[in-house]
Amino acid sequence: MTLSVEIGRDIPVESATERPDGKRAKPSAKRTARIASAATIASLVLVWIVAAHFKLVSPVFLPAPSAVLWKFYSVATNGFVDATLWQHLLASLLRVFAALLLALIVAVPAGIAIGVSAIGRGIFDPIIEFIRPIPPLAYLPLVIIWFGIGEPSKILVIAIAMLAPIAISTAAGVKGASLDRVNAARALGATRSQVVRHVILPSALPSILTGLRIALGAGWSTLVAAELVAATRGLGFMIQSAAQFLVTDVVIMGIFVIAIVAFILEIGIRRLECKLAPWAGRE
Amino acid sequence: MFFPVFGVPSPSKTGKAVNAAVQPVDPMAHLFLDHVSVHYDGQAQPAVTQASISVQSGDFVVLVGRSGCGKTTLLNVAAGLVPPTGGTVTVDGKTITSPGADRAVVFQNDALFPWLSVRDNVSFALKLRGLPQQERDAAATRLLERVKLDGIGGKAIWELSGGMRQRVGLARALAAEPDFLLMDEPLGALDALTRERMQTLLLDIWAANSVGVLMVTHGIDEALLLATRIVVLAPGPGRVVWEIEAGFGRRYVGGEPVRSIKADPAFNQARAELEDSIFEGEAA
Repeated sequence: MTLSVEIGRDIPVESATERPDGKRAKPSAKRTARIASAATIASLVLVWIVAAHFKLVSPVFLPAPSAVLWKFYSVATNGFVDATLWQHLLASLLRVFAALLLALIVAVPAGIAIGVSAIGRGIFDPIIEFIRPIPPLAYLPLVIIWFGIGEPSKILVIAIAMLAPIAISTAAGVKGASLDRVNAARALGATRSQVVRHVILPSALPSILTGLRIALGAGWSTLVAAELVAATRGLGFMIQSAAQFLVTDVVIMGIFVIAIVAFILEIGIRRLECKLAPWAGRE
Repeated sequence: MFFPVFGVPSPSKTGKAVNAAVQPVDPMAHLFLDHVSVHYDGQAQPAVTQASISVQSGDFVVLVGRSGCGKTTLLNVAAGLVPPTGGTVTVDGKTITSPGADRAVVFQNDALFPWLSVRDNVSFALKLRGLPQQERDAAATRLLERVKLDGIGGKAIWELSGGMRQRVGLARALAAEPDFLLMDEPLGALDALTRERMQTLLLDIWAANSVGVLMVTHGIDEALLLATRIVVLAPGPGRVVWEIEAGFGRRYVGGEPVRSIKADPAFNQARAELEDSIFEGEAA
């Protein structure tokens, strides 16, 4: 989560290098930031190595980086709690993406309705605002009571966490659609539904993609909660099982895997944004 | 109201050839704003009061006046984007209440769709009508040629200069084959040189397409060069204070170069009178 926030902040920093007088700021600002990041990571790892080497903390609580790396290899090849790392990862990814699909199908139309019509706003705004602040652990028991302990419940818990960011971003994008463009389309003979389909939806696309990015972050953070009950595979399940047996190296390894996968997804969505909405930020 | 005539040579000189340049259009379309008033909610005084403007096929009507005199409001009323609170807007006698493809609009900031290529922007009106891709592309190629932008159909909107964008906007409006072209300061954001070239392009397109044009501008020279009729508006509340016939645009269409038209003492005199009328409107 921390990683994705840092990446999210990268964009305004980059655009801020475009100074009002038209000249570009020296690229050294970006390099300085990179050097600072690398130095921070290096010193944190160093502290970890030193603390583990001199046993400043018991290895049960803080295993050495080498032990964590070794666990990565051994769980990837031999597995942990009856499944390899890749099987855990695949199970979690499938859940997150199934939830994302479900959330998109529900939240994008809801966001459009909020953005284009007063009735839509009246219907969906209270629902979204009700769901938005509730932590997943709070509604998890209810979802299990209603939908059982199977796979649908796990997907639903993640999807609910994704609804609000997608709907809110979509609505913001729809409201931000240029009135001139809408009017231009109307003056060219577009009906109301054609305006939504050909002008408002593409106008909102960059916002929808931003919502999707935030939603994926929310989905990953909900993963552990979703895999609390009756899971047999998944990164969240793997970490919890390891914690119960105090296998701290697997816990730390699992945290790193979640962070790395989130980072890769983040880059993937950036690429998707460049491909689907190349005009964003150029106007 | 006065109806002086600017820049039309007397028939004894070159009259016939010049007048023949703009062919009478059949069937004639007639856009009429009849005593239109617009009072926006929460505003102390109306934006426009009792304004009447008539545009027929082959007319090039230009609205001039200081800021806040309701030029853009009147254009939006004609487009059907702003409902009048008083008076009526009719096309061929039928009251209009919504925008329509018979009245295409060109906006100051072009309002192009950045998610579409230049080609798809131009043929947008045809997509709305459900024409197949092949026909749309052919039409876009033809229209881009007409605005002198051949071969850029595949480009993205953000790759274009301001002048090119405005020409794409014009081509997109023409694709709807409108009876009327409504333009809100279409050249306002362009540099002086690009602007001059766009003015002659507008005249060429107007002469070739038999459309009725209603255009808003801040440029007095621009109004004189383009218009067949100039409508002067005054603010507080916005109203029509003067209407002037002009013929410089027809002279360009008839073959006279812009330099020669602008060098004509009659052009300068007309400009002085037009400036006076705008100033009078201000004093009133």
